[in-house]
Amino acid sequence: MFEALTYNLRVIWACARKDIRTALTERVFTIIGIFLPLNFLILLSLFVLAGSNVPTAVVMQDRGPYAQQLYTSMSHAHSFRLIPASAADASAMYNAGKIVSIVTIPANFDQRVQQNQPVQVNVQINNLNTDFTYDIRRAVPLSITTFYSKAFPNLVTVTPKEIDSYSQDTDYIPYLAVSILVVSLVVGGLLQSGTAGAREWERETMKELLLSPASRMAITVGKMLGAFIISLASTLLILVVLVLFIGIYPAHWGEVIGFTLLILAIVITLGTLLGTLIKKRQAVTALSLGTSIPLFFLSGAFGPISFTTPAIQVIAQIFPVYYAIVLQQHAFHNFMTNTLGIGTNVLILCGYGVLFIILATIVLRRSTVNH
Amino acid sequence: MFSAFFRAIWTICRKDLTIWSRQPTNIAATVLPPLAFLLIEALGAAAVGHSPVALVVQDHGPKGQQMAQIFQQANVFKLQQTDAQHAQQLFNNLDVVAIVTIPADFTQQVQIHNPSPVIVRVNNLNLDFTNDIRRSVPDVITQFYQAQGPGSPIKVTPHEQDLRAQDIELFQFNVLPTIVLLLTISGLVTTGLAAGREWETLTIKEMLISPATNASIIIGKVLAGFLTTFGLGLLVLGLGYALDWTRPEGIYWLSTLLIMALIALFSSGLGIMIGAFVQRIQAVTAVAINVALYLFFLSGGISVLAFEPDWLQNVGAFIPLTYGTHALQMAVFYQSSDQLGRDILILTISTLVALSLGTLAMRRGIRA
Repeated sequence: MFEALTYNLRVIWACARKDIRTALTERVFTIIGIFLPLNFLILLSLFVLAGSNVPTAVVMQDRGPYAQQLYTSMSHAHSFRLIPASAADASAMYNAGKIVSIVTIPANFDQRVQQNQPVQVNVQINNLNTDFTYDIRRAVPLSITTFYSKAFPNLVTVTPKEIDSYSQDTDYIPYLAVSILVVSLVVGGLLQSGTAGAREWERETMKELLLSPASRMAITVGKMLGAFIISLASTLLILVVLVLFIGIYPAHWGEVIGFTLLILAIVITLGTLLGTLIKKRQAVTALSLGTSIPLFFLSGAFGPISFTTPAIQVIAQIFPVYYAIVLQQHAFHNFMTNTLGIGTNVLILCGYGVLFIILATIVLRRSTVNH
Repeated sequence: MFSAFFRAIWTICRKDLTIWSRQPTNIAATVLPPLAFLLIEALGAAAVGHSPVALVVQDHGPKGQQMAQIFQQANVFKLQQTDAQHAQQLFNNLDVVAIVTIPADFTQQVQIHNPSPVIVRVNNLNLDFTNDIRRSVPDVITQFYQAQGPGSPIKVTPHEQDLRAQDIELFQFNVLPTIVLLLTISGLVTTGLAAGREWETLTIKEMLISPATNASIIIGKVLAGFLTTFGLGLLVLGLGYALDWTRPEGIYWLSTLLIMALIALFSSGLGIMIGAFVQRIQAVTAVAINVALYLFFLSGGISVLAFEPDWLQNVGAFIPLTYGTHALQMAVFYQSSDQLGRDILILTISTLVALSLGTLAMRRGIRA
């Protein structure tokens, strides 16, 4: 019994060491594999650089106190990146596609507001897509109402009174970066373990492995361990960038480390399954990279999936990435984005891990090598 | 002489096409991700700009009821009117982003011109959703005042002028960048692999000692990559057409196809270059997909580059895909040829440069 265990451990370690050595001989691919998650972090972060602040030129034809107050209201509307400009400059920026809209405060604005007479604020919108257009359509009336509630508190008495659940808002980059971390772990892990699994089939070295007295479970676990160790390099790299360069400090360091290792382990099991199933490194690579972006959008990267459509909710819950994002959001920001609780999310992820290991072993057991 | 040249091109092209068609897993791995992305975009489109909110109306007076009705009709929320207890339950279960409560004395306070707050309890775990609520609730309050007609104390109104005749839904808008991504990945990977494979399997030797010229080898490979890439692009465009998402009209079909062809040719040329430099199948796939992702995201990705920070716009100006995406959007969505000449010129020059670099890389590799 003890001998069998020692033997299996030796097989596991031998397989892991062999895979690490092989990976080190394919330098270009390994380096790309290690830096790929970091690339994902950089590229997907570009999405949120513009945030939701729509670049808008404001043409102040009136510089009276009411006009200034309206400008201030617009700047607090959580919607605009305001650029004060002359009519000609605003028009030039608009025509060049540099701004989404021009808001023109007319010359007689103060006078008409003071006299309680109707006055129109001209809003030109480059309605490229509904995302930006809706923001402007909502934010301009919001600014006007806010302006009135400040300037004429006795006239406009209905205002929203906001009560927040958390003492501070979580900004776009800190929220999204955590989701990107998970997707990066997925891509990095799938790539390392998937290609390591497929390599044996492509080079037909699987023959030797299958003919050896080593158990298939030990071979599978060994390959997973090798991929896990290589993936740790990219994981460490991305965590360092996230914490030291982007400045996102985790609320619970222990959870970050624990969940990261758990997610990586599960992804590695999935990658091993894919590699054994597909048996072609090229296809595994393309699939790992190609599925990552749809998975990122699907799995609650931008917010809790309960805020999206039922169809997306159903599909998202099929994939472990969703549970992984929930756990990492808690680890970094101390809030839950689903109601399952930490324990249940961890259990579900562990369940996926066990399932993938069993499937990978079954696939390996049923596999044969062409002669 | 010419017929031998063209026969060599066709033979190499046909050989690469045959190899490509015998790798269904690779084809699926190229096509499925963009299709999956489109599906997710379409399924999630209904939620864009419509955050789920619970409305609790504690006031039964006329102003409270009017406000509640405006909330119902505002089309800015996915609204669920309920009692306070159930609303709290929905809030705790993360089924709603916020609870909007119209307090019991709302009508009374409005009528005597006292401050009459609408209570908004928001789950501010994410700025995106929080700001959506921060914009939408005042929007409804504005509509409440507008409904009072000439008696409204708010005399300032926005006068909207749209640049384009129709609004484009966000998921529709994202179809074209997805096609561009597909064209780029497919072109880079297909031709990159076709070139890299010749070195890895050492078949480049046979090609070199054959009477085929270097030019015919390179053109044949680019042609194969172009045909498969363009074909996949047409497939996704056709899907968009069938679903009524992307429908170019009249002459704009021509510019749409031309731009797609130029992007396919550009990425195929670049693919040859990568394949000839890297010379290893596995590394080619990883490098090509990385390059494709960088080109795609630096050209704005699925956002609008013009609205990104200046430094990113400056980088994007050097990425040919920026011009391809712009030209496609103008042709397909706005029936416009705005700056089409510039876009075609830059894409053509980039394609020629990519092809030249690909040729040089291949020749260099062949000599080595």
